[in-house]
Amino acid sequence: MPTAPRGEEEGIVKVTRASLRLPRPLGRTAALVAAGLSISTAAAVTVPVTSSSAQSSRSSSAPTATISVWMEASGTPVDNYWVAQAKAFAKANPGDTINVEFPGATVYNSKVAAALAGNNPPALTFGWGGGRELQYIKAKVVAPIGDAGKSDAGNPSWKKDFVPSSLGAVTFNNKIYGIPVGGTQPVFFFYNKKTMAKYHLSFPTTTTQLLADVKTLAKHDVTTIALGNLGGWEGLMYLEYFTDRIGGPQVFLNIQAGKKGAWSNPAIIQALTDIQTLVKDKAFEQGYNQIDWPTGFPDALVHSGAAAMQLMGDWDIGNMQGYFPGWVASGALGIGFFPKVPGGKGNPADLEGNTTDYLELAAHISPAETYVAEKFAAWLCASPAYAKFEVGEGLVPVITGSSKLFASSPLKQYLVPIYNAVKHAPYFQYSWDQALGPKESTPLYSNLQKVLGLTETPQQFAKTMNTYL
Amino acid sequence: MVATPAVLHRSPVVGSRSAKTAARRRGFFADVVGLSPTLALYGAFIVVPTAFAVFLSFTHWNVDGPIRWAGFANWREFFSDPVSYHSLLVTLELAGLSWLAQTPVAMALGIFIAGTQRYRAIYATLYLLPLLMSTAGLSLMWEDVLFPQYGGLAWLGRHVHMAFLSQTWLGSPNLALYTIVVIIAWQFVPFHTLIFQAGRRAIASELYDAASVDGANVRQSFWHVTLPQLRYSIVTSSTLVLVGSLTYFDIIYILTQGGPGDSTRVLAMDMYNIGFNQTEFGYASAIATVLGAIGIVLAILLVRLSGFGSMEGTQEGIW
Repeated sequence: MPTAPRGEEEGIVKVTRASLRLPRPLGRTAALVAAGLSISTAAAVTVPVTSSSAQSSRSSSAPTATISVWMEASGTPVDNYWVAQAKAFAKANPGDTINVEFPGATVYNSKVAAALAGNNPPALTFGWGGGRELQYIKAKVVAPIGDAGKSDAGNPSWKKDFVPSSLGAVTFNNKIYGIPVGGTQPVFFFYNKKTMAKYHLSFPTTTTQLLADVKTLAKHDVTTIALGNLGGWEGLMYLEYFTDRIGGPQVFLNIQAGKKGAWSNPAIIQALTDIQTLVKDKAFEQGYNQIDWPTGFPDALVHSGAAAMQLMGDWDIGNMQGYFPGWVASGALGIGFFPKVPGGKGNPADLEGNTTDYLELAAHISPAETYVAEKFAAWLCASPAYAKFEVGEGLVPVITGSSKLFASSPLKQYLVPIYNAVKHAPYFQYSWDQALGPKESTPLYSNLQKVLGLTETPQQFAKTMNTYL
Repeated sequence: MVATPAVLHRSPVVGSRSAKTAARRRGFFADVVGLSPTLALYGAFIVVPTAFAVFLSFTHWNVDGPIRWAGFANWREFFSDPVSYHSLLVTLELAGLSWLAQTPVAMALGIFIAGTQRYRAIYATLYLLPLLMSTAGLSLMWEDVLFPQYGGLAWLGRHVHMAFLSQTWLGSPNLALYTIVVIIAWQFVPFHTLIFQAGRRAIASELYDAASVDGANVRQSFWHVTLPQLRYSIVTSSTLVLVGSLTYFDIIYILTQGGPGDSTRVLAMDMYNIGFNQTEFGYASAIATVLGAIGIVLAILLVRLSGFGSMEGTQEGIW
């Protein structure tokens, strides 16, 4: 290794802040929803002509109603698509009116909570299932979604239209409380193939190999992993995966079930220790706890080669495609499963992430509104046309049989393996923050930031988090 | 001619009393009418919401259900929760550090721009620029300046060979709060400078003349004339700094979101999280009430300690 002066002579990729100036996306939720929307903003708004559940329950005596549907605005073509679909539905079903509304984004959740408790709630609300929805179920302000006009037995006819793992986050007491309305968002490592090849590295399949790569890359002044952990959810992905790979899915299920001392599980302690090892070995770039992921900075690091990879939801493919047109489509980005931890119990094909987004049904509405809401939700969400629209937007639908739709997508080299990974995943763990709900996710973010900042030990973390069980 | 005046005067006196009462009544009526818009606005936007927040602090309200009476549960939680205790400490630390950072600088600048030096108006305009910027805008600007490795400050550090400038200013738990204090000072020092400038301008030049006749040098006339005369400016500015810092939110929300960890999580940030993320409006209202109470107590203390409330002029005896 020649000791060349720092700078370009040594092959260091110089990145200036100015060259990294990127459009500032709206934030995490927007990123989740947007998920690659810049790929084809010209994607046509297609109106489903037929759908599996659309016409089945239509009869002359069907009740009609005007309902409101609350969506979280993404500032992308998805918003317009929903509005257009609502109009199309109303046209096909005289007497029904669907008002798609977008209440403010920053306090979306508290507005939904207030509206659901009120006298005139929106019939359908966009949500994420998990802990927050469980709160609503306990408060009896949301209801299971079944087939329109039929008594609900937890087995609606549209259930078969979705990949089974996509319904886990909304299945409570054997009833389904949400219908998938977004793409699936598993988390993978996305790496710069060129950078890895330059230093003769293949994507690591074990964490031992990952740590070795960190050392190799550090010698060339390349950051191994780009991380923007200002929000706290970004770093959580590491804890989720390490825990699964070390202790398997049960470790978190115990936490979710609120079992006493569940955070002190040795798998959690080891996962946190492994994360701190990455920090100490300088696997992440300087200042990761201060960097806001939605600024696009970590994406820029990976693209420029200043960093080799990042762990992120699959919406990042679309993000990167938007920032660096052509680069992603050229196949420059590699996808890798989170590596195996030697001696760990978890299956390296297990996934973590947001299974998908949902439309959730309000409880305090009239039978006619329930009827129209269930009909509209199934008509919109389970339709092949919607799957096609999602693929066009760079999303991976959870609608069964979508794989054939990828053929014409410029991103098929990414979308097909992701779809298959979701389809074949032995276990798909819903993001812990969404699964636990807001009361536990806030301290989870801040304590994990401390662990990542090396100001809290794994044991202190576990002790603090146990108090929230 | 002893009795007549009394007799003569009796009826006019009685008449004038009833006239005065009527006039007073009319005056009261006019006052009420005149003040009613202000009172209505003050009541609707200050008194009622404050009272409602205090009421809510004794309830459980998750928005998705009815408001349930909670007694002192939220208050017990507040005083036993290490998270709120920590946030309270951070809040007080921020207020104290802000006072230390802003008051001396603002006073010095205020005195300077109240003077008659050349180009003073130009300097004054430059100093006041941050006051014109939106908080969100200047937060984003500072985010770029302080960006690790690639930010303006890190760039400068590389070019002037001062490596210490390349810190994780906002990402290190040891630095983040101090960095925030400096940014807040940068934003608000101009405003306080104006207060001190006005205060300095109001000091009668006779006082300085008298001091110089007595043989006072510049330092002595600062300590014995300027500083005592600026007393009320100091109280006004300090009250605004301290009470304002208690509820400081926007720069922190944009730059650190209370992190890293909880090192910049002030009570206002905590209140926002608990209210709008966790939708626990009862507990969030308890925090709001605590903030309100500390603010009022602080303001009263400052006024009492300084004698600001006694309406005594600083220029008594001069004219």
